[in-house]
Amino acid sequence: MELPQGTLDVLILKTLALERQHGWAISERLHRISSATLQIKQGSLYPALHRLERKGWIKAKWSATENNRRAKYYELTKKGRAQLDAETEAWRRLSAVITQVLETV
Amino acid sequence: MLADLLHRLRALLARNAVERELDDELRFHLEHQIEAYEKAGLDRDEAVRRARVEFGGVAQIKEDYRDALGVRLLDDLRRDVRLAIRSLRATPAATAVAVLSLALVSGANTAIFSILTSLVLRALPVHEPERLVHVTDTVPRETGETRVRAWAYPAWEQIRQRPQLFEAATAWSFTRFNLSSGGETEFVDGIWADGGFFQTLGVPAAIGRVFGPIDDRRGGGPDGPVTVISFGYWQRHFGGAADAIGRSVQLNGVPFTIVGVTRPEFFGVEVGRSFDFIVPLQTEALIRGRDSVLDSAATNFLSILARLERGQSLEAAAAGLRRAQPEIREATIGGWSKDVRDRYLTSPFTVIPASTGYSNLRSSYERALVIIAAIVALVLLVGCVNVANLLLARAIGRRHELSMRLALGASRARLVRQLLTESLALATAGAALGLLVASYTSEFLVRQLSTAGNRVFLDVSIDGRVLAFTIAVTVLTALLFGTLPAFRAFRFAPLDALKSQGRSPADHTRSGVMGGLVSLQVALSLVLVVAAGLFIRSFTLLANRQLGLQPDRVMVVTIDPLRANVDPADRRALYERARQAVLRVPNVTDAAISQLTPAGGGGFTPPVALSTTGQPIRLDADGDVFGNLISPGWLRTFGMRLIAGRDLTDADRHGAPRVILVNETFVRRFLGPASPLGRTITLYPSSPRALPADIVGVVADAVYGSPRDPVPPTWYLPIAQFDVPEFPFSSARLSVRAGSGAPELLTKSLVAAISAVDPRLALTFRPLATQIDAALIRERLMAQLAGFLGVLALLLAALGLYGVTAYAVSRQRTEIAIRMALGAAPGRAVAMVLGRVSVLVGVGILAGTLASVWASTFVEGLIYDLAPRDPATLATSVIVLAAMAALATWFPARRAARMDPLAALRES
Repeated sequence: MELPQGTLDVLILKTLALERQHGWAISERLHRISSATLQIKQGSLYPALHRLERKGWIKAKWSATENNRRAKYYELTKKGRAQLDAETEAWRRLSAVITQVLETV
Repeated sequence: MLADLLHRLRALLARNAVERELDDELRFHLEHQIEAYEKAGLDRDEAVRRARVEFGGVAQIKEDYRDALGVRLLDDLRRDVRLAIRSLRATPAATAVAVLSLALVSGANTAIFSILTSLVLRALPVHEPERLVHVTDTVPRETGETRVRAWAYPAWEQIRQRPQLFEAATAWSFTRFNLSSGGETEFVDGIWADGGFFQTLGVPAAIGRVFGPIDDRRGGGPDGPVTVISFGYWQRHFGGAADAIGRSVQLNGVPFTIVGVTRPEFFGVEVGRSFDFIVPLQTEALIRGRDSVLDSAATNFLSILARLERGQSLEAAAAGLRRAQPEIREATIGGWSKDVRDRYLTSPFTVIPASTGYSNLRSSYERALVIIAAIVALVLLVGCVNVANLLLARAIGRRHELSMRLALGASRARLVRQLLTESLALATAGAALGLLVASYTSEFLVRQLSTAGNRVFLDVSIDGRVLAFTIAVTVLTALLFGTLPAFRAFRFAPLDALKSQGRSPADHTRSGVMGGLVSLQVALSLVLVVAAGLFIRSFTLLANRQLGLQPDRVMVVTIDPLRANVDPADRRALYERARQAVLRVPNVTDAAISQLTPAGGGGFTPPVALSTTGQPIRLDADGDVFGNLISPGWLRTFGMRLIAGRDLTDADRHGAPRVILVNETFVRRFLGPASPLGRTITLYPSSPRALPADIVGVVADAVYGSPRDPVPPTWYLPIAQFDVPEFPFSSARLSVRAGSGAPELLTKSLVAAISAVDPRLALTFRPLATQIDAALIRERLMAQLAGFLGVLALLLAALGLYGVTAYAVSRQRTEIAIRMALGAAPGRAVAMVLGRVSVLVGVGILAGTLASVWASTFVEGLIYDLAPRDPATLATSVIVLAAMAALATWFPARRAARMDPLAALRES
């Protein structure tokens, strides 16, 4: 399914809201949560991750995984959490309005 | 925001780490993807393939990442520069030659330019210099240059008393002060300056205070005689100590108090000269005592500078001045002869702009420097052509590589950009090295201009203007020799990559350009070699001109009796006693006193007439007749020849019949073929102090003022018989001839002998040979510079020719090899290569000859004893250039002849 522009960012933020994860885990989680509907191409995922990192909403750290391999873990920053809340609220309002318009006719 | 910036910085500075991290991260993801597919049931290979496909191009991700960071452009530039440096390092010889040529030519250019700006363009370091003007008159001077005249003190007083003429006016003069109290002199440079000097110029003190009108009084002001010293002197002699203020110095024996120090950038108002002490003008009466010229209307020594009112035009100021002129003149007429008075009254006063100051140095050297600048520019051109050819040859050699890159998808713009980056890298390296060369060269040149009696001061530090010039030259050279190969790059077809040794039509045009450049180089070098030849020969001829005397063992001692407080009437006796004392010194063969010495500066031109049966005939109506007051033994001391009559003797003393000697030119011009002996010459004719004298001897012509000028008609009168009571004899020259060895060795004994006569006499020593050489500085400098530049141009042209010939040989290897394999003699092969090059050189020599003939008009006036179109110089230069061409092309040609045809053919 095609993702509207800019929504990938908020999805990533949401994924990281609970715990820090590396890129592969984020992609798997999104795949699972969306009931296998969303398959994020790595070509979009990593640029998005880097963009979010540059904006200061997530921060990255290299750590060891359970299998003792090195991976780059991302976690939400305080700014990111605030951004997530703001955007979630905005989405809710937007979708409520659109649903309302669509159902009224 | 901050995070973003930090990321970009990190990407720039820690590139490798960032790259590796990205790699690791993506690889991690890929591996997990593969595992997932495997777990889902796909086999390993299929899993890998699918994962890879889904992944998208890793490189693309990385590119996007970098793009997003905006570092792509910087990346490309860095890569270009690194590539440029690497490819330049791959051909170390060519690169070294290119950088060196550029460094030498841009350095020389910058050095000359900084001297020119300092001499000609830099405004005076004063407040609003554009409002400053010189006050002068419009008498045309012999040399035709606009010389600024000097004024007498009474005339200055008249102008000072009319403040309505300008916003402000001031007067000044250069002078020297003797710091020592007797024996050998220790001179420092000084300026007499009117009280309003600093205010008019708007120049404040760095520390302490400057003096003002209240200090400008004959006995000194309320603080007594005060002086302001220069920043340079303050650093040199007081180490910049603050307690220099208030100290007392003895200037010519008179104590002065130091009250202030000027700022470092203030050197005075004459470009090329600086000062150590400035003293108020009227204290001249204190320093020179009896010999003060403040009240003399006939001694012109002051320069008058004025500051125009805001908005006052030059014409308005000149008109105002002229209105006051009659009164000024009437007040300052002295007891002069009628014709001098007439001249004085009629020539109108005027004002000329003074923002760049007045400079003796500039007027003597301006033309020479402009010519040198033109020469250096030409050498720069030759250097650039060299580098252009070098790069062209390299670009053609890399045709293969460049075409390959085109075929692989690089844009032409990218290729051109890289080639330009290379030339820019070369130009930058050359310019940086050139700045170093420039700073040493300009200091060296300024030092060469200074002589013992005439220190030249020019601020040739690299300032903004000079730097801008160097950068402009660099960029221009980069464009000049960078665009040629770059244009060629546009013509490359990707298909060329597949042709290894084959020729494309573009080859011929390329060779055409290179050939044209070679001819241009040869032509330019010929012009420069001819110029060098002319200047060198001119200097040699001048230096070897018959001086008419033997300077080698003569020491000139200037005796200044000021501090000895001797009555002017007794000074001659004092000098004679000194002379007798010196004659007793061992190793002294002759000694004589005179007012002037050859090439010592100055000229004595009192009016002179020839007595006839009727009216005396004035001899100096059409031009000055020069004279000298000498003691017996003078001719012997200088080794001058007597060709008729007798020399002066001790019998020709005061009271005896007055005698006079004249030189050959005098006889030839005024006295006709009959013997001149016995005829009467009168100095100051038709005046109460007329001095008639009989000619008793004729002297062979000898240099009077400068070896450059033709010997003027000269007379020599015994000092003892010069009965003009008011003549001050304020200094005299004692010339001493040593029996053997250098005259400098006599200095100590001479000081001892003369000090025994009177210890307060100030003595300055200068070997005659040095004095004469100093008169020829300009010619020597021109010869040295032109010679150096000519050799440089020759070298560059040789290099260029070598490169081009080597290139031609390499291009035609196959052809030559085939011919040799088919039995042609090696000589034929060589001839084939050299044939075209010889035509190019021939064309160049022809063009250069024509150019030299045309350009020779510009050096008129700077060449002596030589026609600017001197055929011998031209012919020699052509031969030199042809020899150079032969030498330069010999090596590659020999390599062609020695080539093994089979090996060459195998390689292609």
